[in-house]
Amino acid sequence: MTTPLVEIKQLKKYFPVKKGILGTKKSFVKAVDDVSFSIKKGETFGLVGESGCGKSTTGRLLTRLLEPSDGEIYFENNKLSELNEEQLRRIRKDFQMIFQDPYASLNPRMKVKNIINEPLIIHGYDKKKSLSRVKELLEVVGLNSYHAERYPHEFSGGQRQRIGIARALAVNPKLIIADEPVSALDVSIQAQILNLLKRLQKEFDLTYLFIAHDLSVVEHISDRVGVMYLGKIVEIADKTELYKNPQHPYTKSLLSAVPIPNPKLKRERIVLKGDIPSPANPPNGCTFHTRCPFAMEICKKSVPEFTKIGVGHYAACHLINE
Amino acid sequence: MTEPLLKITDLKTHFFGDDGVVIAVDGVTITVNKGETVGIVGESGCGKSVTSLSIMRLLQDTPGQVVGGSIEFENKNILEISEKEMRGIRGNDIAMIFQEPMTSLNPVYKIGKQLEEAIRLHLKYDKKRAHKHAIRMLELVGLPRAKQLMNEFPYQLSGGMRQRVMIAMAMACSPKLLIADEPTTALDVTIQAQILELMQELRETSETAIMLITHDLGVVAEMCDRVVVMYAGKVVEETDVITLFEDPKHPYTKGLIGSVPKLGENAEELDSIPGNVPTPYNMPNGCKFAPRCKFAMEKCWEIDPNLIETENDHLVRCLLFQNKQVEVEL
Repeated sequence: MTTPLVEIKQLKKYFPVKKGILGTKKSFVKAVDDVSFSIKKGETFGLVGESGCGKSTTGRLLTRLLEPSDGEIYFENNKLSELNEEQLRRIRKDFQMIFQDPYASLNPRMKVKNIINEPLIIHGYDKKKSLSRVKELLEVVGLNSYHAERYPHEFSGGQRQRIGIARALAVNPKLIIADEPVSALDVSIQAQILNLLKRLQKEFDLTYLFIAHDLSVVEHISDRVGVMYLGKIVEIADKTELYKNPQHPYTKSLLSAVPIPNPKLKRERIVLKGDIPSPANPPNGCTFHTRCPFAMEICKKSVPEFTKIGVGHYAACHLINE
Repeated sequence: MTEPLLKITDLKTHFFGDDGVVIAVDGVTITVNKGETVGIVGESGCGKSVTSLSIMRLLQDTPGQVVGGSIEFENKNILEISEKEMRGIRGNDIAMIFQEPMTSLNPVYKIGKQLEEAIRLHLKYDKKRAHKHAIRMLELVGLPRAKQLMNEFPYQLSGGMRQRVMIAMAMACSPKLLIADEPTTALDVTIQAQILELMQELRETSETAIMLITHDLGVVAEMCDRVVVMYAGKVVEETDVITLFEDPKHPYTKGLIGSVPKLGENAEELDSIPGNVPTPYNMPNGCKFAPRCKFAMEKCWEIDPNLIETENDHLVRCLLFQNKQVEVEL
């Protein structure tokens, strides 16, 4: 449990944007800006944040679907950037991805069996056994083996997400990166998928990187949670600690913004002003100072350090240093 | 307060498709009183959006058709009035906000033009006055630099800002009823909190009744006075918001509430509802929820229960709560 399966160090991803009449001026969208965290074997690390905070980009960097601009990713102590393509392909077998949109992430012209079989072909699985493996996987995710002959359009959203999960599980990965896996689903189906993910984790000893915007979902599934804002992690903690004792004003306001299904509960809500600033032109100093209700002079000038508050609890805020 | 503004009685909306008839709304009765916020909760395909489109009479260009029932707005059946009369009500007395702030604004017209169009059409203001009113509305919904925004295109705004523009547009003619169809679903949590706060403010200042269609029970708990739960085209439970969360009766309502992970609760497993929502082509015979219901009895597969008042203003469509009546029928 103690050795980290994945370690990310000072990861950065800057997307160049061309500006000016001739496209000569270059500026950058800092989608991920100096992010570091590690995920232990068997745990679920939740990454929360609003749209544009870089949580999905982080997931994509981890699978090397995107090349990082800077920083390092270690997977079981292998430095991913030093691997050649062949080695990378082999190691990719160990981390699979589940996508948000169950309608867009399955090829509509392929039968379910071919969809799930594809990773098996790529990673050189025994062809004779592959069909039985596909059927076994379908059963594991709560579908029936006769579903193998059908096309994605014959399934509902929740069932499609199960197919996506079966595909991810096909090659026995160690890490699953789930990018908003339930946000496109109905409430009752969402609960089914969350329960399924939890069950599979126990059964197959999986490690999850769970990316979502819904704080209640992240709390439910995660062991540790990182909160992202404008390309940076502003707070990391154990989930109970984070939800009981949030330190960063952004975490606090995020938590207070979640509508709770209890009409009698009256809470003090911190409503943030304005929108998230564009990551192409982030504010100086602490990137959150433009919306922070507690912003001070220093916040406009210097970037707060990531400081330790308690056991495994870190936050980047000037208020804490005081 | 208790004067009914909108009275939907036994509304039936069917879609006549190539593969047969789809019963989207099957005998829905909902009343919205003046100044009240009524939540309509349900999952996709339960008919909540079709109900709202039926009220607005926006189904003309679809295979959908209202085949029965009545929708009375201020004691006038809006299903029977002419399209011209309806145009006077739509946007003027009843306004609507849609889920997708990205697609509900016209991408090729400036914000100002889109707002002014509605204002000039309904309030018969001249150009100058409409322009002023539009700016005032943008300020009212809390948008910064309202004057500049008038000359901007929708793509230049963020999702939250676009939804504010939609609300400004809907509120521009001070409607008596605002139908909000998943108004915050596409937005981030902090922006959702802003929009909900804005809607609450508007409700207090303008006395507009709101029909809030959503799948988010948290939003319901925060915004609504009364809640209608829909499943497979029917109302399965209706009660005030406190009772709904404290003493839900219908197994579907219970399942929905159990399905939501609650902040700070840390449940090991969620009470999910097994199975899927039935498709319109294979609707069960008896109770529509029976195939997914934990408490389903044999008779549930045969009898489709009626919506019965169990306690004061607490309506439930479930055989568990109407034993007496079942015995009589059998």
